[in-house]
Amino acid sequence: MALTAQSKTKEAPQRARKSKFQAELAPPEDRMVRALKAELQMTSNTDFLVDALTLFRWAVSERRRGHRIMSEGASGERKILVFPRLERVAPELELPRVDLHWSEREIESLTELAQRQPAAPTEALIRAMRG
Amino acid sequence: MAVNIRRLEEFDETEGFDCGDEPLNNYLRRHAWINQQKSSIGVTYVAVDEAAPGVVLGYFTLAASSIPRGRLPKKLARGLPPYDLPMILLARLAVDQRFTGKGLGRALLAEAFRIALRVADEVGCRSMVTDAYRDKIEWYAKYGFVPIEGASEERPQKMFLDLRTIRKAMQSR
Repeated sequence: MALTAQSKTKEAPQRARKSKFQAELAPPEDRMVRALKAELQMTSNTDFLVDALTLFRWAVSERRRGHRIMSEGASGERKILVFPRLERVAPELELPRVDLHWSEREIESLTELAQRQPAAPTEALIRAMRG
Repeated sequence: MAVNIRRLEEFDETEGFDCGDEPLNNYLRRHAWINQQKSSIGVTYVAVDEAAPGVVLGYFTLAASSIPRGRLPKKLARGLPPYDLPMILLARLAVDQRFTGKGLGRALLAEAFRIALRVADEVGCRSMVTDAYRDKIEWYAKYGFVPIEGASEERPQKMFLDLRTIRKAMQSR
């Protein structure tokens, strides 16, 4: 299924412009979208996308402020949402500091390396960052 | 198997973790949580299966470090800014033996790189350094790490990677 939706971008003085969003979905995601729309009694892809976007934007802003996102069951059982992309905006990314032992020769070698122009990425590195 | 990589949590199942190297097993089981939460000398990220989200399949530990400007050789440091040389330390990376050969090490390393870039954006840093076991030098070199000269043959090999190289890899996706 190609999910298409139209949304308003920036209000022009006289005429509102809309931008088109299109996505090719694999069958499992397609089924997920259809099931969610049915469950939420939504018929429009635009409404679906806008609601999903609102929810995602809220989750990003909460995680950016360091807030954990959790659900609480009727019996008080709590589950914390862990979503790798959200973790990337979490403020606790700051790392603690440690001191390493460096020999004079290692420092010399490191200084030389740090001064060089960055090397071109290897194929393995490029592939890894695609994942 | 769908794998998530996230920060280590207090009640993660680490006792069964076995990467075949006792110091690395022991670090995860005994020290990683304390170092992260109480001592603040390293943050550990773990790979977990979505179906069993508390069981650790692999991990890496990151920390920040630097070399004081005064220790840099004057002749070589001329082209560098007049500050300490900051770096992100990839302190440990290990995969449980039951899950080797599935690309988990690569996924962990890629996530460590993404975090390093984010940290560098926040606080400023240009390089990543790791202390590689001698039999893992080639594996790290495959991803662009360069050996730092001067270590004795009995000790792990310090290796260097410029974060700008990782950024280039991100841009060439």
